[in-house]
Formats: sequence, C-alpha cells, structure tokens
Amino acid sequence: MTVQPADVVRAGRRAFLKWATAVSGFLSALLAGVPAARAFLSPAFGHKRTEKWVRLGEVDQFDTEVPTKLDFVDTANDAWVEARRLRNVWIYTPDGEHFTVYNGRCTHLGCNYFLDSEKKVFRCPCHTGFFDIPTGAVLGGPPPRPLDTLQVKVEDGVLYADYEDFRLGVPGKASA
Amino acid sequence: MNPFRWLDERLELRRAKRDLLDREVPDRLTWWHTLGSATLTVFLVQLITGVTLATYYSPSPDHAYDSIRFINTQVASGALLRGIHHWGASVMVVLIIAHMIRVFAVGAYKYPREINWVVGMGLFLIVMAFSFTGYLLPWDQKAYWATAVGTNIAGTTPVLGAALVALLRGGAELGAATLARFYAFHALWLPLVLTLFVFLHLVVVVRQGIAARPKDLEVGAPKATGDPAYPAYYRQAYAASKRGGVRFWPDVLGKDAIVSAGAVVIIVLLAFVLGAPLDPPADPTDTSYVPRPEWYFLPIYQLLKVVPGSLESLIAVGVPTAVVLVLLGLPFFDRGSTRNLLHRPLALISLVALLGGSGILIGAAGVGPVTAPEAGRPLTSMERAGRALYQSQQCGGCHRIAGQGGEVGPDLSTVGLRHSAGWLHSFIEMPSRFYAESHMPAYGPPTLSHQEIEELAQYMSALRGRTNAEPHFYDTFPPPPRP
Repeated sequence: MTVQPADVVRAGRRAFLKWATAVSGFLSALLAGVPAARAFLSPAFGHKRTEKWVRLGEVDQFDTEVPTKLDFVDTANDAWVEARRLRNVWIYTPDGEHFTVYNGRCTHLGCNYFLDSEKKVFRCPCHTGFFDIPTGAVLGGPPPRPLDTLQVKVEDGVLYADYEDFRLGVPGKASA
Repeated sequence: MNPFRWLDERLELRRAKRDLLDREVPDRLTWWHTLGSATLTVFLVQLITGVTLATYYSPSPDHAYDSIRFINTQVASGALLRGIHHWGASVMVVLIIAHMIRVFAVGAYKYPREINWVVGMGLFLIVMAFSFTGYLLPWDQKAYWATAVGTNIAGTTPVLGAALVALLRGGAELGAATLARFYAFHALWLPLVLTLFVFLHLVVVVRQGIAARPKDLEVGAPKATGDPAYPAYYRQAYAASKRGGVRFWPDVLGKDAIVSAGAVVIIVLLAFVLGAPLDPPADPTDTSYVPRPEWYFLPIYQLLKVVPGSLESLIAVGVPTAVVLVLLGLPFFDRGSTRNLLHRPLALISLVALLGGSGILIGAAGVGPVTAPEAGRPLTSMERAGRALYQSQQCGGCHRIAGQGGEVGPDLSTVGLRHSAGWLHSFIEMPSRFYAESHMPAYGPPTLSHQEIEELAQYMSALRGRTNAEPHFYDTFPPPPRP
C-alpha cells in the first residue's frame, strides 16, 4: 500500500488541529479564568492594614493599678456598606506613665472578658479563662495565648491606641 | 494501576469516545459551523464571570450600585471581570444570531432537525431574557430607565398589559422587588433553564449528526420534505455525505476551539480597552434622563418612536411576537426540500427584510436622540410637545430663542435659568397677573389646556443655553386673582 500525498496532508492537518484545540482551549480558560480566580481569591491575600488610632482619654484620668474599660464605636468600611461596630479595650497603668492597652476580646474565641475585682484578674465568662492584669498572661482555662496588647502613644497628655483585632484561638499573635 | 483503564472498565470511556469524538461527520464543513460552539464557549465565560461577580454583588436598591462600585475599585481584576461579562453578553448575542442565520441559510432547520430549531429558538429567547434582566442589576441611571421603558413596553400589551407589568416588576412600581426578582432570574432560574436547553440541543445534535451542506441533500430529492419517500432519501443522502472519513475530533472540534478562543480574545480586548460602563446611580425622580437599551433591543425601541401612538401597542409587542412565532413555526410550514438559500427566494427576501429592517432601526436609533441646541441636551417627550406648541402658536412672532424670532417680546434663550416651570406655567396662563402692562395675551383655557401650558412651561424651563448652567430662579407670585 502506498501512502497518498493527500493522506500526509490530512495527517498533518489533524495533528495541527489537535494542537490548536489544546492551545485554544487553554487560552480561553486562561483569559476567563484568571480574572475570575483573582477576583474570587483576592480577599485571602494581600491584606494592607491601615493604622487606626483611637483616642482613649487624657493620661491623668486613668487610675493606677486598677484597669479601666473603654467602649467605643468603630466606623468600619464593611465592603460596600459603612458599618458601625462596638469595640472595647482595657487600659492598665501601674504608675500613670506607662500604659498597657489590651484588645477587649478574649484570645480564645473572642468573648468580652471582665474584671474580677475580688480575685484581681481578668475573667472570660464563656469558657472560664483567667488572665493576669499587669501582664495579660494566661492564669488558667483554655486561652492559647496572653491577652493581645495594642500599640500605644501619648501625645500632648492624651493616650491613643492603634486598635487591631488578632486571629483567635491560635498560640501566635497574628493580624486577623 | 492505570487510572484511565480503571475508569474505562467501569464507564466504558472508549465507547463514549468512539460515539462522541470519533464519530464521522459530513465532508466539507465550513468555518461557519463553529458558531454554535463559540456561543457555548462564551456562555461558559459568562457563567464563570457571572458567578464570580455574584460573590460581590448585593441585589438591593440600597446597596446594588455601591457593590458595583466596590467591584470596580476594590476587587482584584473586578473592573476587567465586569467588562468581560458586559461584552460577553453582546458577543454572545452576535454569535447566536450569526449561528441562526447560518442554520437558516443552509436549510438545516428542515427535516429531520425541526426539534433542534425549536430548542435553539428557546435558547435565543432565554439569552434575550438574560440580557434584559442583567441590564437592571448595576442599578445606575441607564439600568433603571431602560428597564422602566422595557417594562412599559410590555404594559402596552392588549388586555394583559397591566398584569404583565406588575408581574415583571413584582409590584406596580419599579423598585426593590423588581431588582430582587430580576436578580433571581438572571442568576438562578435562567442559568438552570439555559443549561437544560443547551444539553437538549447537544444531545439532539449528537443523535442526528451535523447537517450536511445543501448540495449533498438536494440532488434527486423529492420536492417536499413531507413526501413519504423523503426520509429514506435523506438517510441515504446523509450517509453518502459522510464518505470522506472526516471525524468530529479533531477535524470539527479543532476549528471550534480556534474560533471560540478568537471570540474570547475579542471579548477580553473589548473589556480591557472599553470596560463596562457605569452611569450615576439610579435616580427615579430625574425624568430628563433619556434611556437607551442595549443595542440588540434597539430595533424594538426605535419602532416605538416611529409608529403613531394609537398603533404603538400593536407594533411594539405585536411585531416582535409575530417574528418569534413565525421563526418557531418555520420548519413546520416551510416544507420544501430545497436547502440552499439562493434557491429559496421567499426565505432570502424575508431574511434580508428582517436583518435590513433591524439594521436600519438600530442605525436610526444610533443617530438619535438629537440634542436640542437651545437646551444643550436631548428633550424629553413633554418638552418636545412644548416645542411643537411654541411653533404652532407662533410664539416666535414676538419672542426670540437663540437669535431666531421677533423683537417685540423678551428673549427666551435662557429663560429656564431665571424662572421655574411652575412660575412659567402661571405666567403663560395669565401674564397680566404678573405685569399689568404686559402685551402678551393670556393662553389659559380655552386657548390652551393646562396640559398644553405645562408642556410649554417645561420646554421654556429647558431653555438654559448651551452651557446648561445652574438656574437661579427669581420667581415672585402676585396674590391670586379675585373672582
């Protein structure tokens, strides 16, 4: 049996079309898929946190040794909705000069802990976690890490804290 | 273990490949045969981009526009994604119409493919429904007003009109309920129905095979497809058309993939260069906005402008309905066995008339609406009526607009900057109430009706010069006339 020139042409044509199918299919999938995948996955990557300095009050108004709780309303851009959220922090100062500000959420699962003034500890009501007031260290219960401290600064006698939430339930302190 | 063999033992993949990919197809299939596959590819693109857009969209009048802005500005590739979805819709309509023209031109809707023509018409109508419902979702001016007009057109349907509008809008007014139901249809119902129809369409194509070219199905054919001898003739002729040993894979699929990729490239380029438009947010109180639908609805839109009012409902709803019904019934009343379009004069004339008519209407709509030079923008229907009255009442005998007219009365070129429509209405009705020495006659009833005076007043109010500057009204009203 002899090979006809037409058969060679046809075989070449078929090989080309097979190759073209793969390339074209890949190109189509890429062009539509990449923007879609980028848009869908982008929230998982590339967080850029902007500092959020909250005015907590004048330095001399805080009692020494006894922590003070401060509630404030945080206006947050929740995607396309402007949302208001109630946040709180605890402020502790041993001497009126050095300040420690704790995020008001328990590091275990985010409940609001409170001051147990008899035992002089912070106590979380959800799963009975205990924290040391001056250092934030875990004294008992399930919390995986000490209380989250916030960056503080004092300007013109006014105390500010850079409010930030951290990932809950993990041993390391990482941005949420 | 070879995973392919493992699956093959259970699912008979080899047989599936033989039946689907290795099947023989007629010789000499053209590049025009790729349009259906390209349409399907663009549908998949719409599906991927649409689902992703839906993850950032809020179907409520309070948030819809803001969520679109969010997609445009905050979401990675968000603006590009919107562009792809926007232009994908247009390209899909172009492809589906081109595919229909191809099928029409080679008589591929005739025996034995009547069913698939009807399924295809269903697909076309579902795609149009997609366009209509998707248009509202950005909730910008264009979306709002185009949908207001679109639903109003449905409202002109005899007998059922009012119920139809309420059904489309989910209430009497265009609002929150409309947006929610349009979204539900666009993102839930229609994709489901379309997928089902696509599946049906493909199953039938695989069962019946790709249509052969007209030449191979016409030689020695009985005159009518209804002839008892026709099915036997068709089977023999169709089998003969497959002698060349052309296979679906890769001979057909390869071309399909190339054209499909071309369509996707064009869509992405359009999205890159032009993007998706976004008007200011919908403002239901802004009656001066002149809405225009997407280009493929322009023939119907323009038809409404051309026909006189009394025939409007008949034409606007009747003509498109009639066209759809004729197309649906086409394979059942066109029973001639001739397939080549050039040998079917009536079909050729109908096709040219339909495409030409639509083209002329789109072209005419593309020219208008004409910006009125005296107002610096297109006039509303109310203002146009006022301009007609201005001419028919010979107002220009005394007044001037943009240098045209008489010298007796005041120049009206920028009267809209000084007086509100309300003041102008009262003034035109009885000028002597405002200025005892005015020479202008009173145009109140019976000379003109209040409707006509209001039209005039609206037109006057639109006269703000070319710059369309901010008006500062100096309206003082005299005490009401004593009876």
